[in-house]
Amino acid sequence: MMSKNEEGIPPGWNYNPASWGQRLPIVGLAAVGFGIATYLSLYQLHVFPTIWEPFFGNGSQKVLNSGVSKLLPVPDGVLGALGYLSDAVSGAVGGTRRWRTMPWIVILFGLLVGPLGMISILLVIVQPVLYHAWCTLCLCSAAISVIMIGPAMDEMLASLQYMRRVKDSEVSLWKAFWGYKSVQGKVI
Amino acid sequence: MWAQVINAILGIWLMVSPAVLDSNKTVANNDHIIGPLIAAFAIISWWEATRVIRLYNLLPAAWLLLAPWVLGYNDTTAIFNDMAVGLLVIVLCFVKGKVEGRFGGGWSAIWKKDSVHAQEAARQPRV
Repeated sequence: MMSKNEEGIPPGWNYNPASWGQRLPIVGLAAVGFGIATYLSLYQLHVFPTIWEPFFGNGSQKVLNSGVSKLLPVPDGVLGALGYLSDAVSGAVGGTRRWRTMPWIVILFGLLVGPLGMISILLVIVQPVLYHAWCTLCLCSAAISVIMIGPAMDEMLASLQYMRRVKDSEVSLWKAFWGYKSVQGKVI
Repeated sequence: MWAQVINAILGIWLMVSPAVLDSNKTVANNDHIIGPLIAAFAIISWWEATRVIRLYNLLPAAWLLLAPWVLGYNDTTAIFNDMAVGLLVIVLCFVKGKVEGRFGGGWSAIWKKDSVHAQEAARQPRV
């Protein structure tokens, strides 16, 4: 029988939040989000002349051509697509013990999915309040972002608890954060 | 978890209610801002490790009880709608539901000394 340590179950946990069964669904959601955001940004970049909008008439047009969507040098759809791509990559990189072998990628993943996911809520608020319009695919994208947050946070929690144990054992936080070989195994 | 599913539905109801109830602009803006927040916090708390996020909804829900009076709603349906949703969300926030997973002491274990994960790590053999 494999010990808890070999299975990568963090101390005080009853499952491994970095197992593929935990991570792949999030990576899959991020891939769907990437697809939607890419489609929206291609419309915003005038590659597609029209946008699919089954429910809200010209709502998607209004939202995707709005002032807020053009606040930055690139349309917000492009940033959304890049965001989902970094979610998927940071979710997929590393093995099933990465919460302690590479905390930096787990914490980066958590920050990308969590705080950045909340931005999509801001965009959902902006649609009706500023432009009196709804955009179906933007809402789908926001729903995906929010659904990803909960399942991604447990892995970050395991990494942050690991960092806490590193601190208490007076091993270099810096080396543990970046997963230096020299500190591997010093802290469980 | 069912309680947070209902809170998410209540948040989504707030997003659509201005259209259904034909609310005026003040009411609509308030509901369009608070609805997505409530839905998002509720959905995040569907998972056991983030169940604590359900309590974030206490603030927007409490605001729903005050908003009709602070913003001066003059539409009884809208007053009733916001206050009823606010009250329901507050009550359901306190329903924690089943948490079967163990999370090394949870989020507070990051800043507390000697919590569950640290104690169990000390008991495990070194590799």
